[in-house]
Amino acid sequence: MRSKLCGAALAAVLVVTSACGSGFDDNGSTTTQESTGPADLKIMIASSGDAETKAVTAAATAWASSSGNKATITPAQDIVQQLGQALAGSTPPDVFYVDAARFADYASVGALEPYAQGLDGVDAFLPNLRQSFTYEDKLYCVPKDTSTLALQINTDLWAKAGLTDADIPTTWEQLRSTAEKIKAKGVTPLAIGDTRDRIGAFLVQAGGYWVSADGKQATGDTPQNVEALTYVQGLLKDGLAKYPKAMDAGWAGEAFGKGKAAMAIEGNWIKGALKADFPAIKYTVKELPAGPKGKGTLSFTQCWGIAAKSKFKSQAVAFVQAMTGADQQLSFSKAFGVMPSRQDAQATYQQQNPDDAAFVAGAQYAQGPVNAPKMDSVLADLDAGLQGLQNGNPATVLQRFDKNAKTALGG
Amino acid sequence: MIRTLASRFLGYAILIFFALVFLYPFVIQIANSFKTESNAADNPLSPIPSPVVTDSLVRIFEGTGFPTWLGNSVLVTVVVTIGRVLFASMAGYALSRLRFRGRKALFAGLLALMAVPPVVLLIPKFLVLNQLGMYNSYSGLIVPLLADATGIFVMKQFFDSVPVSVEEAARIDGAGAFRMFWSVVLPMAKPALITLTILSFTGSWNEFPHTLVSVQDPGLFTLPRGLADLVSGSLGAGTQYPLKLGAALLATIPVAIIFVIFQRYFVRDAAAGADKG
Amino acid sequence: MFARKGIRGNEQPAGWLFVAPALIILGLFMLLPILMALWVSLTRWNGQGSPFTGDVPFAGLGNYTRLFTDEGLARQDFMTSIRNNAYYVFLVVPIQTVLALGLALIVNNRLLKGKGFFRTAFYFPSVTSSVAISVVFLFMFANGGAINAILSVFGIQGPQWFSDPRGLLHLLFERLGVSPFLTDSGLFGLSWWDWLSGPSVAMCAIISLVVWTTSGTFMVMFLAALQNVPVQLEEAGRIDGANRWQLLRHVILPQLRPTTFLVITLGLIGTWQVFDQIYVMSQGNPAKTTLTPAFLSYRTAFRDFDYGSGAAISFVLFLIIVLLTLLQRRLTRERDS
Repeated sequence: MRSKLCGAALAAVLVVTSACGSGFDDNGSTTTQESTGPADLKIMIASSGDAETKAVTAAATAWASSSGNKATITPAQDIVQQLGQALAGSTPPDVFYVDAARFADYASVGALEPYAQGLDGVDAFLPNLRQSFTYEDKLYCVPKDTSTLALQINTDLWAKAGLTDADIPTTWEQLRSTAEKIKAKGVTPLAIGDTRDRIGAFLVQAGGYWVSADGKQATGDTPQNVEALTYVQGLLKDGLAKYPKAMDAGWAGEAFGKGKAAMAIEGNWIKGALKADFPAIKYTVKELPAGPKGKGTLSFTQCWGIAAKSKFKSQAVAFVQAMTGADQQLSFSKAFGVMPSRQDAQATYQQQNPDDAAFVAGAQYAQGPVNAPKMDSVLADLDAGLQGLQNGNPATVLQRFDKNAKTALGG
Repeated sequence: MIRTLASRFLGYAILIFFALVFLYPFVIQIANSFKTESNAADNPLSPIPSPVVTDSLVRIFEGTGFPTWLGNSVLVTVVVTIGRVLFASMAGYALSRLRFRGRKALFAGLLALMAVPPVVLLIPKFLVLNQLGMYNSYSGLIVPLLADATGIFVMKQFFDSVPVSVEEAARIDGAGAFRMFWSVVLPMAKPALITLTILSFTGSWNEFPHTLVSVQDPGLFTLPRGLADLVSGSLGAGTQYPLKLGAALLATIPVAIIFVIFQRYFVRDAAAGADKG
Repeated sequence: MFARKGIRGNEQPAGWLFVAPALIILGLFMLLPILMALWVSLTRWNGQGSPFTGDVPFAGLGNYTRLFTDEGLARQDFMTSIRNNAYYVFLVVPIQTVLALGLALIVNNRLLKGKGFFRTAFYFPSVTSSVAISVVFLFMFANGGAINAILSVFGIQGPQWFSDPRGLLHLLFERLGVSPFLTDSGLFGLSWWDWLSGPSVAMCAIISLVVWTTSGTFMVMFLAALQNVPVQLEEAGRIDGANRWQLLRHVILPQLRPTTFLVITLGLIGTWQVFDQIYVMSQGNPAKTTLTPAFLSYRTAFRDFDYGSGAAISFVLFLIIVLLTLLQRRLTRERDS
């Protein structure tokens, strides 16, 4: 009798739940009601720092007031997690940053609106960046900007170590010998992030990379990659390079800005961050030293994604077009240092930013990110291996990556 | 005699050492909240900030979402505490005193629910909030916390330990069940209610995992969630220890005040836990 | 006639009315979620649309077998998290129990004054927010932080706590000159060498935080139990000429056995649930050495959009904790009868 009653109570609870279960849009994304007229756009960005947040907020506010809409910018601390929850919760922001490395995951589950397919003036964007946001022959979103890795050098610490411009390393051997000189003066020579997105540059310089050119095969365990990781491991072991955490910094740019390291390997975003947080620092930017197989660096890009479930798609597209105009991109460049993603803005950019020659040069030979769905946990595992590189075995790290990547890539 | 003195000295030495271990982190926290960032990095141990600066505190209020988090935390804590105390005392009373069919089964179910570890409910709670359309809203943040099995258990145990004579008298007067509960039983249950209020207050003020899966809009963050976000920090935000320590300090103060005022109840709760098993 | 019947009779609706609010909330937000998650753990729901439609691919027990029998990253991560949490439990539970007991014995000493102050001091950390306290410990364990400053006073160069993935046992082997062994064979996708890593340096920082916050609670439990030890027993022992150690060993500790037992089982149950500290302090880094099942389940669902696997990890963890709870209740019952 009692258990029956219990069952009845449970059943009642279930009925109530299913009766008011309206949280999901059961019919999928296609039937979402479109609203016209003034929109209340929610925009989520993964900001590289205060400089970027301020610049994007200002641009969005200007767009909103001139177009009669509302636009709210939310800087996400952890955009993957926040966006993941928002998408599953059917309350995604209308517009959000999508990293090239995560793009395929979102596109493959139908979370993104392929608005860029056939968009007016889409040809103006750099072709290799457009390729990064193409999934199954459909261009989903337009790149907001691009950046590459380069070598930053603290000129004060450089002079203090008795070094001159002639000592600026252009090869691995020089990087090592210069670093030894700096270390002899009691300064950490190089700050480098402990992820594939920094260390990967050495792989490119050695003539290898994590995956094959078409992105469909794992190519971790090759002699070139082992050589690259062994070289980086050597720098770490001898104290010639340090991960940011080992210097109490959140990222290499912070360690560099605080003067804890004489060199750093970061991308264009470091300019804006240094200007905002460490305005006093004097530094110069050079191309990364060449490895056994020549020069190599990594490029990064993010796009303005629009949610398939957004109620304000047409307004969102208008917003994205405003944010990616040539002039707007150039003003973002000024604010936080990224490079424009449009061909028609390149010439002006180079003219305005002579100091960025190294970043611009890098774009010529840069390697793009691994761009395949279901790879995130594999790449996270790779990062874990790289965090332990100092005491680990390079070949083991690479073999482990190959094994996991093969399963994920289905090959 | 000398041995007693020596052992007393040793006892104090150990106690003072551990008191330092347990309290000095708070001293460090307070001191470093008032230091400049470079001073905090150079002299993390020093209990005296030099110079004393309030920059971090100003930035907490002006440069972060702290005021919003504080407001949300107050709202959540007040509503949840009232709800928990009311619902738990009602349910505890019914399970202890009222005779109705299914009572024993309900109590058994309650014991089973108490064994459910909160962390395994992270994904489940997210699913149900989603299905009910409550995800990312105040109701999603508050309603699931309004009842907890442990609170009901504490109240039931309390009513079990109180003689029924007072209520019998009221019952003969012909008071209805609810009126009797409100004007006879609740006033009598004051000690247990205070205990429950304290448990609910600290529990909901410090609640973190639930906020992680029930909201994602920064406008709905409570203090622990906001603080966790501040610490995991976005690229370029820097370490900013004085700022983070200051924010953590401000989030600790209300609980500290409650603790100092109602200390004996806290201690009793923990001791009561010893009998519960 | 009405009243006679009414005394007991009208309690039926009142009873249900009184439990209704709590029942609905607990049913909706504890029972129902568990059932829903059980279903999701049998699917490959990717976080798009509703998990309760026919479109969601059904996986059967696939999400569970991936954790135990299928070679791959999912199993490797899960087993790593189990290993980390096991070392965490092995260290936290004994240390906090012994520390709590020791502190209680000293605070309870009748010759010492200031009992109230010390009890408060030791207990305070456990009522503060886990997130707020994690922030303080992050600062203290920073490379140039308070802990390393203290260590340097003793001439020790402290480690880089939160970026050091080396296991304590591995470090010990290295110190003893033992080179890695048993790296080719293993269990559940981790080599024996990996299983034998010990807690990483980073995990030790988290362990010290947890011991620091929970010892106070358990100390208060021991104190309450100590006050129930009959004074006559102690005096009888003293008259028999027992020294202090013998008194503790043969008179006091046996009296404390039920409490000790409770503290250990509560510790076992609690330590398998560590989440907040991991989320705030390390997010499973460095090199996955602070990954725990609770955090892994969260990350798998909300970062990798693999809600099925995440829910499956939750249920395995649930099972571990339920088994420990049942064990505790069973042993408690044996003790009582």
